[in-house]
Amino acid sequence: MPTAFGFMQCATLLKATGVSARTLAELRSCVETVPGDSIFHHTAQYFLKGRVSDYTNDFAQWAGESLEERALSERLSSVDPYAASAMEAVRADLLRVLDEHLAGFPPPREALEGDAFHFNTPVTFVYPAGLRAANLAEFLVALEHLPPESIYFHFYEARVRLRGGMDDFSRWVEGSLEKGGLAGRIRSIDPFMHGVEGVRRLLVAAVREELDRDMGEALG
Amino acid sequence: MINAYAGIAPRSDLLLLQRLGQRLEGRSFLHINSTSKGGGVAEILHRMLPILRSLGVRTRWEVLEGDDPFFDMTKKLHNALQGSAETFTEAMWEHHREINERNAAALDLEADAVLIHDPQPMPLVEHRGGGKWIWRCHIDLANPHPGVFERLAGYAARYDAAVFSVSKFARHMPMPEFIITPSIDPLSEKNIPLPDEEVRAVLERLGIPPDRPMILQVSRFDRFKDPIGVIGAFRMVRRYNDCCLVLAGSPATDDPEGAAVLEEVQEAAAGDPDIHIRLLPPFSDREINALQRAAAVVLQKSLKEGFGLTVAEALWKGKPVIGGAVGGIPLQIVHGATGYLVHSVEGTAFRIRQLLNDPEAARRVGEAGREFVRRHFLITRQARDYLAIWHSLEHPGEAILEV
Repeated sequence: MPTAFGFMQCATLLKATGVSARTLAELRSCVETVPGDSIFHHTAQYFLKGRVSDYTNDFAQWAGESLEERALSERLSSVDPYAASAMEAVRADLLRVLDEHLAGFPPPREALEGDAFHFNTPVTFVYPAGLRAANLAEFLVALEHLPPESIYFHFYEARVRLRGGMDDFSRWVEGSLEKGGLAGRIRSIDPFMHGVEGVRRLLVAAVREELDRDMGEALG
Repeated sequence: MINAYAGIAPRSDLLLLQRLGQRLEGRSFLHINSTSKGGGVAEILHRMLPILRSLGVRTRWEVLEGDDPFFDMTKKLHNALQGSAETFTEAMWEHHREINERNAAALDLEADAVLIHDPQPMPLVEHRGGGKWIWRCHIDLANPHPGVFERLAGYAARYDAAVFSVSKFARHMPMPEFIITPSIDPLSEKNIPLPDEEVRAVLERLGIPPDRPMILQVSRFDRFKDPIGVIGAFRMVRRYNDCCLVLAGSPATDDPEGAAVLEEVQEAAAGDPDIHIRLLPPFSDREINALQRAAAVVLQKSLKEGFGLTVAEALWKGKPVIGGAVGGIPLQIVHGATGYLVHSVEGTAFRIRQLLNDPEAARRVGEAGREFVRRHFLITRQARDYLAIWHSLEHPGEAILEV
């Protein structure tokens, strides 16, 4: 009998650190010293905010929108907080990109008045989404109705919680339902390229395809 | 009460509200501000209290009583904290403290959590009991007039936490500082869906043509809202597109410059039958709602702004919004996705033309804006955040809380 999947979700409350940057050099210096929680919030929790642009973290968005440094924003967008072994590795990645940009490009203008980067830290509230799935069909229905914060919690934030780039969904599908193929297809979804709703569509499609295959096999 | 928001507000917010409500059920929550009507704080408290009470949190709202010299002083204080040069005498500070002492004697300040709104009732903290005391600052404290905040710092230090609307409005203080953005109530008169007949009737009553694309800015007649710039942008657009402009706002009784700015605006619009300047009486919420629903494009071309909730109001109605990149507007408008941010009159005209010429893009941006507001700027999220702060203060040092 497979273990049921109890869906959770999360929400954040933001705390100001009082640290802010108006230039790229200041940003670099702050990234080096702010708490790891702040790096976590501005990178890993980016997708919790309801992403509506192409960036993948707050630093990339600020570099692109407030400093108008497109090359830098592309490189910052490639920093992967989910694959890193710890937030300190993410910090090191960010510093490497910032240092290389500062050394290789003319200094960008400072951000306009009122457009500084403000570092925050989160208090994260974790709570049940009110849905459970005991089999793949129930899992499909839940995926279609889950709040985006739940998809974020299990598909994005789990990679930081569990490390190793693994999400909760594929882990359950493999461990409890013994469906290694589907787990692999879920793991092949690139978390950066879709946003939460895009991820939902791909998850739903993958699970539906698996269910269709199961039903086809059952019917002979 | 909370059930009224089902199907409107995000389910995740409602669920967390309920779970936090279960944790705090039967506990007391006191709000204190300095006016029971007029202004954004009173407006949101009127709407939020029933939500909190419906969760079983024993919520009260007390209003500070003061005299004219007190409110004259706190008006200046409000301006000085946002950077204006104002002069204060020792007698004025003493009166500020005295009025608070008198109120402290008259009010029941005992509660498990006390939320003090803005600087007027700030000294009440000297009479605090055992609950958590939180100072909710609704204004921009980043660049106060020198020496002014220092007079309040002693009060601030006695609070358990402070809350600001936007990170950039915060001022570094020794206690935890939370960021909670303001919100709109989708069930209020200003935001509920209106029948088309009512929208048409409002346009007719205000003498605005119903059959032409309307560019709208709703704001006080204040130079920081750049109404002259709006007229300039409209004139550039009209060379290419048939449209009319509506500038609607209430007279600001507490703003001595308001009448002069209105005169300038009327002069700038003189003789132009396509520019409609409408002074609406205070609390014309349904009229504003109707105007926003009738608009083709909504502007908030501010040069300086607080949070700018008129942006969220217009986005909630699915309208494409063009806003100045100041204050809290960039938090509501993600450029190119939920609206457009502009820095000039020409930029404003360009974006209006773009939206008028591409109704499909206008619809797409408006829809994305409405969803963005639904997820981030509804009153249920703000109520959730207030309870979350209270709960978090009772679990100090914990960055992850399971509820």
